[in-house]
Amino acid sequence: MNSVIRLDIILREAVATPYRDLVTRQTGAAVRDRLLMVLRDHPGRDAHLDFSEVGLVDFSCADEVVAKLIVASADLPVPRVLLHGVGVDHAEAIEHALQRLGLVVVAVLLDSDQPLLLGAISEDCRTAFGALTEHGRVAATAIAHELGWSEARAREALDGLATRRCVLAHPDATFEFGAVA
Amino acid sequence: MRVVPVPGHLDDHSIDQLAANLGSWPPDQRILVDAHATEWASPVGFVALLTLGQALAEIGAPQPRLALPEGEGVASYWAKAGLLHHAEKFFELHGKVPRRKPVEQDDILLPVTMIRNADDVMDVVGRIGERATSILKKELGLEASVVGGFGQSLSEACQNIVEHAGTSGWVAVHVYNFRRRLGRKALVIATSDAGVGFRRSLEATLAKRIGDRWSDGAALESALIHGISRFRDPGRGQGLAGIKRYLSRWQAKISIRSGTARVAFAPSWDDEPPRTDNLAWFPGAQVTIIIPAKEAAE
Repeated sequence: MNSVIRLDIILREAVATPYRDLVTRQTGAAVRDRLLMVLRDHPGRDAHLDFSEVGLVDFSCADEVVAKLIVASADLPVPRVLLHGVGVDHAEAIEHALQRLGLVVVAVLLDSDQPLLLGAISEDCRTAFGALTEHGRVAATAIAHELGWSEARAREALDGLATRRCVLAHPDATFEFGAVA
Repeated sequence: MRVVPVPGHLDDHSIDQLAANLGSWPPDQRILVDAHATEWASPVGFVALLTLGQALAEIGAPQPRLALPEGEGVASYWAKAGLLHHAEKFFELHGKVPRRKPVEQDDILLPVTMIRNADDVMDVVGRIGERATSILKKELGLEASVVGGFGQSLSEACQNIVEHAGTSGWVAVHVYNFRRRLGRKALVIATSDAGVGFRRSLEATLAKRIGDRWSDGAALESALIHGISRFRDPGRGQGLAGIKRYLSRWQAKISIRSGTARVAFAPSWDDEPPRTDNLAWFPGAQVTIIIPAKEAAE
């Protein structure tokens, strides 16, 4: 089961503002603190952060809300943090913040149901991620076969994605992206 | 009383002349900022004049005088653009003072507005949002992606004041025709503060490393070109670096003047060198962002 968390609501709860924009570091830090509180109450579930009703996201806020949340989420009882309803402008700011810190997150753009990776990750991981999202739960051999790679290369890419909490790795050596939301 | 003439056209270039006219700092006598012959000022000029007034107030100098423009409609426009509303706090105004309130209209997207804290930044970005979208699309023919980038640039430029100046500052956003330099309309975001400047803000982090070459210009280059911040947090320093990345895509320009130097990231339509040192000193820091209208199809 997943938790969908509307960021516009978190924003209003965190700071008294009539606006929908995630701007300034102070705002970002307040939103992140609020999000961390909420996520601690949702153990065992992927956290789906919904940006669809958010106006602007600036670089500083992308760093405070997304990049620092990704770092902090390692200590949370949440398997993954995924972004939804991400506008093209949001994606640019988030990508910029994550690239700088060598982080990556799964995002689904507004009006799309195709997940993609934002941030810093190898081309092999990106390619394997694209292939895995077309399947359900599969072993590395299936991805290797589809991409014309060696099994070791596919496994390495999928392990990399699992380590960075972009896909789920199962004990039977299979991988899956899981539900979008 | 020392007379400081204001150039006839006060913009991001001629602010250097205003700085040169200031002479020594702090001034050894009361000053008269003489704009009686000034015909036009860009938002960069407006926020710079306020910074000058604020800097004088903050060092406890005698209240300066500001002689208002005598040209028809000029002082009235300065009132409409929000300059005079704030200038009254720092200057003794001389000349016919129009009693117009600041207005938001198509060419004055944001009248001169004070930035003191993060709430002010949120308010500016939120207030300007929908109108900016409409003007950027209709007046400047820009795509939706530029609209988001505009808001981000505005936000980061204002946050630079909050995070680094150590005092309050000013922002204004106008659209006007850049006939000579560009041959078409452009949107201009101007911020200015009377704060510590880039050199002092980054001194503890960088001065030792850069050694003899440490200067206003080196500090500006470190911030704008290399994204270096005085904070240890590796996520800091993204704002200006992020703006620069965006602006390069739209043939837009960013320049920052602080102390005695200016660093610019300029597209082909502008001849500003990447770095200019040894300018006349001016208080604080001034950030100028110019986003040109889409070029008309041949």
